[in-house]
Amino acid sequence: MTTKLAKTALRNISRNKRRSILSGTAIGVSAMAIVFLFSIIGGMTEDMAFNLKTYYTGEVRIRNIDYDKYERYNPLHLTVDWESVKDLLVDIEDIDKFVPRISFPANLYIEGSNFGAMGVGANFSLEAGFQDLDGSLKSGRLPEKGKNEMIMGAVLARDLKLNIGDKVTVMSTTAARGTNAITLKIVGLFSFPVGALNSKYFWLPLDRAQYFLRMNGGVQEVLIKVKEGVDPKKAAASISSVITNNTGKTLDIRSWEELSTSYGLMKMADMIYNFIAMFFFLLGSTVIINTTMMVIFERMREIGTLGAMGMHGKELVRLFFFEGTFISMIGAAVGVATGIAITLYVGKVGLDFTDAISGMDFEVSSILYPKLSIGKTIFVYFYSVIIAAGATLIPSKKAAKIEPVEALRYV
Amino acid sequence: MKYKIIVILIFLSLIIPITVFSITGEEIIRKADAIQAFDTSEAYGEIRVKDRFGVKVSTFKSWTRGKYESLLEFTSLAERGQKILRTEDELYLFYPDAEELIRMQGSMLRQSMLGSDISYEDMTGGKDRVSQYDIVLEGEEKVNGIDCYVLTMTARVRTVPYPKEKVWIDKETFIVWKAEYYTKSGRLLKEMETLRVEEIGGRMIAMESRISDKMKTDTETIMVINNIKINIPLSVDFSLDDLSW
Repeated sequence: MTTKLAKTALRNISRNKRRSILSGTAIGVSAMAIVFLFSIIGGMTEDMAFNLKTYYTGEVRIRNIDYDKYERYNPLHLTVDWESVKDLLVDIEDIDKFVPRISFPANLYIEGSNFGAMGVGANFSLEAGFQDLDGSLKSGRLPEKGKNEMIMGAVLARDLKLNIGDKVTVMSTTAARGTNAITLKIVGLFSFPVGALNSKYFWLPLDRAQYFLRMNGGVQEVLIKVKEGVDPKKAAASISSVITNNTGKTLDIRSWEELSTSYGLMKMADMIYNFIAMFFFLLGSTVIINTTMMVIFERMREIGTLGAMGMHGKELVRLFFFEGTFISMIGAAVGVATGIAITLYVGKVGLDFTDAISGMDFEVSSILYPKLSIGKTIFVYFYSVIIAAGATLIPSKKAAKIEPVEALRYV
Repeated sequence: MKYKIIVILIFLSLIIPITVFSITGEEIIRKADAIQAFDTSEAYGEIRVKDRFGVKVSTFKSWTRGKYESLLEFTSLAERGQKILRTEDELYLFYPDAEELIRMQGSMLRQSMLGSDISYEDMTGGKDRVSQYDIVLEGEEKVNGIDCYVLTMTARVRTVPYPKEKVWIDKETFIVWKAEYYTKSGRLLKEMETLRVEEIGGRMIAMESRISDKMKTDTETIMVINNIKINIPLSVDFSLDDLSW
């Protein structure tokens, strides 16, 4: 009997092609949108994690034990002794790469006015292994060690009407808690994936930053990337014990997951993204339920005819359940496949949000690459089928209870 | 007739002290400004900045000419060679590693000098305060056992560092022993207290003063003059050339 009903359901689908296509399309579009949305969120989460690890915290971050406590006072005198720490880090097996950095707030003195910016003192030869520095360099070259040179965010340079070859006097508070100024020549313009880095930052050689800020050989922080498969938390613990045992000093060494400012922010962002996804997910479900129910309610005359011909209520319910299931299986499959295709294409070319997020201090790249999740895609397919098939039960059960004469009155 | 003479004498005895010995707020400020200005001066001193991280000492050498011109050169290691030039109308900063002079203006003047409680704007004050402020002599008070006039000054112009000041000025020497600086709405911004004065060349000079910025917590700046010579020939002429010698 079930086989017979299934065959009848398939025949009904092929007989009413327009209705079946419309119904299947609604399910397919919803499934496609949900797959794509999940991919965008997946891409954003992964992108944020990458940016945090590359530009802000590393996978493990080393700072002076008191730095975070006084961070809002810009305590540049609370340093990490770079010379002694780097020799120890080289011998630690868990570590893949590490870079020293000094980030500091500065004023750029241009034609009698001050413009706020952020400076980063970096060892460019080590940075080349830590991030795609050459790829981020839009024009010009990297600053050379020992020279008063800088590279500037392309957006910042554009806003300040500066270009390669121009000289800028930078003022800042020093580690000696005084002030100092130095004139740096712009030798390159960069465009990092994160918009805020391009609109606020300039980078200069580490040794010049140390000299200018009176850091006395120290650095503000050391960012570390661990080897594939190594847990950053465990790596942080082992680095901490090596440094303490060899130098007798206790430093603030934490994995990026333990840093409230970065990982906490990412977790919060992930929660917000998933909330937005859930909202769209429910919206998509409503479309599927609505389409399926409408299709059945519009077929009351047919239901009445089938009832008059002797089909029982349970058989009617099963017939429509089969119809809904078959349509949703095809619709969801096409939708999910289209969603995958769009994701793979956009994943290559990227979605450009440069103008939309320009000036926002947000660790998400201005060009976003959606990331396909196999697990979530499979889930979306089965969810769409179950929702569509389930949605047939409510109207078909109701229709099955109506007397054939009553049902035949529906126009 | 005898009765008339007595009445006149009583009247005169009441009037004479007011007309002969009284002093106005404007005169007090004029005298206080005058004792702070020298034809020329050359001094060595230090600025001790105390904040949550400890005490930081910066040493300097300074030259002044008249009321408006001064040049300050830092001699301590961290700031060696940095200079601040004040002319009648402008304030310039010189940093050895900067290829241009920095002219302080607008909001830049509110920045702290070397992280101290003194702003660059504070260095621009002290011009003709009588014409810039409405001065009211509030009364007299003792500060550290010294009799002082208490005056409040409300700015008439917007070019002064503080819209409202309250000062305690020594009745004898016209040294400012204490000053409070307020916003227009009466919020206390800064406090200054003279800790030590010395008589040099027949004039009383404030050698040590404490300034505390009330917008910051747990900070104070002690400015000390260790050695000062006044009214001597100077080798500087307070021009921009002096900044890059």
